[in-house]
Amino acid sequence: MNLLLSAPKGHELSEYVYSLPFNLYGKAKKVDGTLSVTKNEIIVYIDGEEIDRFGFSDYEEYACEQLVGCSMMVGRVDDRSQKCICAFTQDSFIAFAELCKIINHFLTTGHLVEESTIDEPKCPKCGLPLDGYTECPYCASKVKTFSKLFGRLKPYKGVFAIAILCTVLGELLNVLSPQINRILIDDYVIPQNMSHWLGFGLLCAAMFGVIIINTAINWVNMKCSYYVSLNLGQDLRQDVFNKTLELSMSSISKKTAGDLINRVSNDANKLQSFLTDNGKNAIVRIFSLIIVAVMLFTMNWKLALLAIVPIPLVVLVIKRAYNVIHMYYGRSWRFSNAHSKLLHDALDGIRVVKTCGTEEAEIEKYRRASENWAKAASKAEIVWNLIWPFSDFFMTIGNYFVLYFGSLMILERIPSFGGMTLGELTLFTTYIGMLYNPLRWLMQLPRQLADVSVSASKVFEILEENTDVRDDAQSVDLDIKGNIKFNDVFFGYKVYNPVLKDISCDFEQGKMYGIVGHSGVGKSTMINLILRLYDVTQGSVTIDGVDIRKISQKSLRSQVGVVLQETYLFEGTVLENITYAKPDATFEEVIQAAKIAHCHEFITKLPDGYNTRVGNKGYTLSGGERQRVAIARAILHNPKIIILDEATASLDTETERQIQEGLNELCKGRTTIAIAHRLSTLSHADRLIVLDKGRLAETGTHEELMKKKGVYYELVMAQRKTTKMREVTGNPNYVH
Amino acid sequence: MDNTAEKKEIMDERFEIDRLEILDCSKLKFYKDEGNFISLEYNGETYFNVRLTRLIPFYSKTTYISVAYDNKDNEFKEIGVIKDMNELSEDQYKMIDEYLEYKYYMPEITKVYSIKDNNRGFIFVDIQTTSGRKTICIRDWYSNFRMLSEKLLYAVDVDGNKYFCPDIDKLDKKSLSILEIFV
Repeated sequence: MNLLLSAPKGHELSEYVYSLPFNLYGKAKKVDGTLSVTKNEIIVYIDGEEIDRFGFSDYEEYACEQLVGCSMMVGRVDDRSQKCICAFTQDSFIAFAELCKIINHFLTTGHLVEESTIDEPKCPKCGLPLDGYTECPYCASKVKTFSKLFGRLKPYKGVFAIAILCTVLGELLNVLSPQINRILIDDYVIPQNMSHWLGFGLLCAAMFGVIIINTAINWVNMKCSYYVSLNLGQDLRQDVFNKTLELSMSSISKKTAGDLINRVSNDANKLQSFLTDNGKNAIVRIFSLIIVAVMLFTMNWKLALLAIVPIPLVVLVIKRAYNVIHMYYGRSWRFSNAHSKLLHDALDGIRVVKTCGTEEAEIEKYRRASENWAKAASKAEIVWNLIWPFSDFFMTIGNYFVLYFGSLMILERIPSFGGMTLGELTLFTTYIGMLYNPLRWLMQLPRQLADVSVSASKVFEILEENTDVRDDAQSVDLDIKGNIKFNDVFFGYKVYNPVLKDISCDFEQGKMYGIVGHSGVGKSTMINLILRLYDVTQGSVTIDGVDIRKISQKSLRSQVGVVLQETYLFEGTVLENITYAKPDATFEEVIQAAKIAHCHEFITKLPDGYNTRVGNKGYTLSGGERQRVAIARAILHNPKIIILDEATASLDTETERQIQEGLNELCKGRTTIAIAHRLSTLSHADRLIVLDKGRLAETGTHEELMKKKGVYYELVMAQRKTTKMREVTGNPNYVH
Repeated sequence: MDNTAEKKEIMDERFEIDRLEILDCSKLKFYKDEGNFISLEYNGETYFNVRLTRLIPFYSKTTYISVAYDNKDNEFKEIGVIKDMNELSEDQYKMIDEYLEYKYYMPEITKVYSIKDNNRGFIFVDIQTTSGRKTICIRDWYSNFRMLSEKLLYAVDVDGNKYFCPDIDKLDKKSLSILEIFV
C-alpha cells in the first residue's frame, strides 16, 4: 500500500518516508492537511504550514479511532492521556491505520519499515473496493478471463464441437428454407406453372425434409449441450469447493459465508449456462449474422444498405430506453420487496401486534406499502408500454424501407436499383427478419459479458488463490508430546489492529492451563494460533521446540482436540458426528467416549439411539446435548493437546459438573488449555495465563494470583459481585 | 458486613445502574485536556475522556446526549443524559457542540446532479454537499442509500463516509426527480 501520497505545499515527497493527506482539523472543518513522517518524527501541516511536530517516542502507542462520521489518529501515553494528531474522512482510515501500525512496530523493535506490504483496499483503476480480491473483478482483463473460461471446455471439446456443428447446420438449414420458398413463389406460384408437378412435389418434400433434419439436429445439439453444460458445472463447483476448504481462515474470513456459497453455486452456475448457451450462441449467431449479411448484400447491396444503415442509431436509442425501463422495474421490485418485508414482519409478530393493540397502525402501514408498490408497478408498465412498441418499430424500421423500395423495384419504378421478383422480395424480407434476431441478442451481449466476466473472475480468483497458511516442502509430521511455547508473538486479524502484543509464555506437557481476561482480549486468538488457523504476524509458536509453521497442518490438527462454546454438528446421525474426526473408530470406542462425555444416557433414550439424525446444525438436540456430543467427538479423537474454549459455558451447573469429571479424566497426562468465563471452572488449573489489553499481564496459580491482587484478582472479585447480585435479584440472566 | 447490609448495598448499586440519570446542566463542568479530549467534573467526581453520544442522531442534534466513560476495566459506564444542550452555558454548549460535530461529521446533501447505476450493485451519485461537490460510490445501495423516514435521506459510501438530507422535499425539482427512481 502506498503511504507516500502527497507532500505539503512547498515541500518535496522525497523529504519524507511517509506522507498522507488529511481533510479535517479543528472544529471538524475541511482543511488541506498533510501528515508527514520522517525517520524519527511526525509533522502535521495545514496549507503547507507546520502546526505540530512529534517525536515517535512522545507517545507509547499510536492508533486510529473510528468515530461515527470520521476518524482520527491519536497518540496515547495511557488511557487518560492521549492527543488527537489529525482527523480525516473514512476513506483514509486504512492508510492511517497502517501508518500507526508501522510507527508502533518502530516503538517495539526500533526498526522503521520503509514500505508498507499490505494490499491496496481499492482498485486503482475504478476506485471500487477490492473486498479481499487480489484483482478487481470489474477491471480484470476480460480476454484473459474468457480464455481461462473456455479453457475449462477442453475435456469436453469433442462433444462441444458436435454441439457447435449441429447449431451451425441448423442455422444453414434456416437460410435454406427461404430459398426454397423463393423458388416456389417465383417458378410455380407467380407463373401459375402447375405443369411440373414433379418439381413442385420435390420442393415440398425438400421443405418437409429440412424440417425433419432440423429437428434431428436440434435433438443431437440439445443432448450434447446438456452433457457439456452439466459436466462443466459440476467440475467448476467441485473445484471451487475443494479450493475453498484448502484456504486459510484469514482468506476465508475476508469473504462472508454467503459470498462463498454464491461463488460455489451461483457464479459457477452462471458460467456453466453462459459457456454452453451463450458461448455456443455467440459463435453461431455471429456466424449466421455474417452469412445472412453476405446473402443480402449479394442479392442487392443497395437494398441491404437501406435495411442496415438505421441500425446503429436505433441500437443506441433502444439501449437508453432499455436502461430507463430497467430502472422503473427495479424501483417496482424494491417497493414489492418492502411490501413483502412488511407483510412478513406483521404476520410473524402478530402476537405483538395484537397484544399492543396496534392493528390499525399496521393496516395503515400495509395500505401505504401496498399503494406504493401498485403505483410503482403501474408506472413501470406505462413506461414499458410507451417505449416498447416504438423501440421495436424503430429496430425493424429498415424492413419498411426494404418493403417500400422492393415493391417499387418489382414495379420497375426505380431503374437505378435494378429489378426484383416477388419471390426475391419475400426472400429478402425473411433474411432481414433473420438479421434482427442476432442483432437483438448482440445488444444484450455486452451486459451479459460484463456480468459473466465478473462471475468468472470471482471463481478464478478462488481457484488461483495461494493460501497463506500452507505446508511447505520441509513440513514434517510430528509425533506431538505437548510442550507449547509462544515467543514474542504479535498477531492481528486486521494488520492494523493487533489483538495479541508481545506474548511469551510456556505450556508444559501434561499440565492444565487456563487463559483468562476480559472478553475481546485475545484468549480465543491464542488458541487459533496454536491450531494454526492463522499465522503469527511476528514472533513464533513452537510445539516441542518445532515452529508450528514447519509441522504439517494435518499432523498438527489430528493431534489437537477442540471443544468450542458454539458446537457445530453436521447434518447426519449422532454416530456420524461423534466419529467425524476418527471415522475408523470401533463402536465400543464410540460408546466409551460417549459415556465419558455423559451423552450415552440421553442418546440411549433417543428413539433411534446412535442412529438418530441430529437435523440441520443439530437443532433436534438441546444445547447441552449438542455440547456433550462435541465433547465425545473430542474424546474419541484422542488428542495430545486439548483445547476447551468455553466448553461447558452453555451447560447448567449440574451437567457441567458431570462433564467436568469426564473432561478431567480425558485431560490426564495431556496438555490442556482452557478458556472459561466462569473463573471458578479454572481455579484448579496448574497455571493461569492472564491477558490484559492484548498483552500478557500475569501468570501463576489461582492462589498466587489472588495474593498478588492484580488483574486476575480484580476479575475474580468482579465476578463474585455479579454472582451475588444474581442471587439477590433472582435473575440468572442478569449480567453486571 | 452482615448479610442484610450487603444485600442492601447490592440492591442500591443495581438501582443506580438502571435508572435514567438526567444530568443537571448547571452542575456539569466540561473541560478540554491537553490532548483536546473532553473531561468532566460533576458532583465532585472527575471523569477523564468522556464519551458523548447523540442518542437520536437523526432526529435531534442537541437533545438527549449520553455522557459516559470507560472505567479501568474498559467497561462502559454512563454518567447520565443531557436532556437539552440549550440548558448548558454558552461556552459549555460550544465545547460539546464542537466535539459532537466532529464525531458525527456528516455532510448534508443539498443537490443531486446525477445517479449512475453500474448494474452490479453499485451506484455513483454526483452530489453537492455542505463540504463541496463529490461523486460518491455506494455499494449495496438498497441498504446504503435509503429513506430513514418519509423525508430523511441517508447515504453511506463504500468507505463508510455518511451523508444525509434532512428533507428531500426541500431539494430542487431536478434533484428530486433524479432521486425518485432510486429511493
